[in-house]
Amino acid sequence: MTRQAYDQAMAIAPAALRAPWTRRARDAVLLLLALAALVGMAIDLQLAPGALMTGFGKLGRFLGEMFPPSSGGQSVRILKALAETFAMAFAGTVIAALVALPLGVIGAKTVVSNPALHFVFRRFLDVFRGVPALVWALILVSAFGLGPFAGVVALALADIPNLAKLFSETLENNDPKPIEGVRSAGASPLLVMRFGLAPQFAPAATSQTLFFLEGNFRNAGVLGIVGAGGIGFELDERIRIFAFDEVAFIILLYMIAVACLDTLSRSLRNRLA
Amino acid sequence: MSVTNPTVEAFERERRRMLIRQRTQAAVGLAIFTVLLLVSFQRSQFFGSDIGGDPLGRMADFLQRMNPGLKPELLLEDRQTRGSLHAWFYALPIWLRAAWQTLEMAILATAMGSVLALGASFLTAQNLMPFAPVRFVVRRILEAIRTLPDLIMALILVAAFGVGPLAGVLTLTISTLGGLGKLFAEINEEIDPRQLEALQAAGAGPLKKIRYGVMPQVLPNYASYALIRLEGNLAGAAALGIVGAGGIGLELQRAITYTEFDTYLAILLIIIAMIFLIDLFSEAVRHRLIGLEKA
Repeated sequence: MTRQAYDQAMAIAPAALRAPWTRRARDAVLLLLALAALVGMAIDLQLAPGALMTGFGKLGRFLGEMFPPSSGGQSVRILKALAETFAMAFAGTVIAALVALPLGVIGAKTVVSNPALHFVFRRFLDVFRGVPALVWALILVSAFGLGPFAGVVALALADIPNLAKLFSETLENNDPKPIEGVRSAGASPLLVMRFGLAPQFAPAATSQTLFFLEGNFRNAGVLGIVGAGGIGFELDERIRIFAFDEVAFIILLYMIAVACLDTLSRSLRNRLA
Repeated sequence: MSVTNPTVEAFERERRRMLIRQRTQAAVGLAIFTVLLLVSFQRSQFFGSDIGGDPLGRMADFLQRMNPGLKPELLLEDRQTRGSLHAWFYALPIWLRAAWQTLEMAILATAMGSVLALGASFLTAQNLMPFAPVRFVVRRILEAIRTLPDLIMALILVAAFGVGPLAGVLTLTISTLGGLGKLFAEINEEIDPRQLEALQAAGAGPLKKIRYGVMPQVLPNYASYALIRLEGNLAGAAALGIVGAGGIGLELQRAITYTEFDTYLAILLIIIAMIFLIDLFSEAVRHRLIGLEKA
């Protein structure tokens, strides 16, 4: 019986073709064990239903206070903070791309052909790939003082290993034929890069960088919580004093800005692709 | 040598026009980019900011303070000896416990978020939910969740649910719902319709159709996406602790409060190791799942 016929028979008469009871019993036991493990974790984290209820009560009150949203007469200051957030995201992304480019070249199998070296370098990047920007920001603020500078560096640090990995993969996936073509026409290495490599690599890399800009604009919005400037600082301040109408105003404004940037960046990426 | 072939001339004109247009476009793009970059650097005070007059010295000092000062001959000494591993990782049991909590937060949130996303995905899939307004509303809600950064949601939930893992788990659950709901719906829309038709012909209700017609086709893909999400949630959970949502992030925050940069590095290494291990695990399971699907 082919897979397809089996699927159809299974669909029409599931009872007749059901898995044997041993298999079903095993699945049921596994499911129960998984559920028990999840409940155990919830207990270990002390996720009490009581706290959940009071929390939802409070959350409901906060949400009620959010309407109508109000700028609290500080729209200029909030817009400035929003601009600062975008500035941090933009500067951080550009720096990350500039640093990631050479790293990506070194990480590409087609450039550095020594497998051991390639492996070590890729793993080295992998190690840092998971560290969120906020974790970098926390220590950088402590080291370099309050302000957006630490935020920019934190965003860049979080992006560099990820972008470098994408850049190397893009380089590896390049079609070698145009490069060979340009080379066989007698071009110098610089010209080979300009006319063989760049037309393939640049649009893809730009598109990836734009994608990271979107992500960074989202991340940059919260770095202010640890003192790295931008809209996060304004938000944190207002949440602390329970000024939820102003919180709602900032969040709405920010979400609109995020959606605008996403749309703009998506249309740019579609043009590049 | 002047060739006056009208075709060649027309071609040359056309080519020149295209080149000019291309170059203007590139120039305008470059100009916009440069202005944006300069304004960004200015606004984020990247060069102008006061980071202590002597940035390189500051950087060196920073790295110096992160250095735990390990001494090779004292590595295995006890906690009181400066330069031993034990003195560097002085609260290792507490940190491992916090790291475990972070992992639990990520697992719980991924599980709950996936189940919610499963429900949402059936409400938004064109082939399973015939009622368009429901699709529209659920879709917009998922979109709104995806637009709102996790940590901002966490800030509000910490204010409502208090400092602790509860707020973190809820935040990650909601954001997982937003992310996976969309992906699951896309999987649902790509299923083979023949099995659904067969069930329809056999007179199965909507729940039976989902159970026997959809689930067997989509589960491996779901699991694969959920595992990828688990990796992201783990990093997210580590960061959420910084805003008070429990787990290892709280320990990071504590290390910074006491400006123990070497301790920060130690905890950071634990986080990196944890994320790395989960990535390896998830990759192995995913490859098996995809393999099973093909078999």
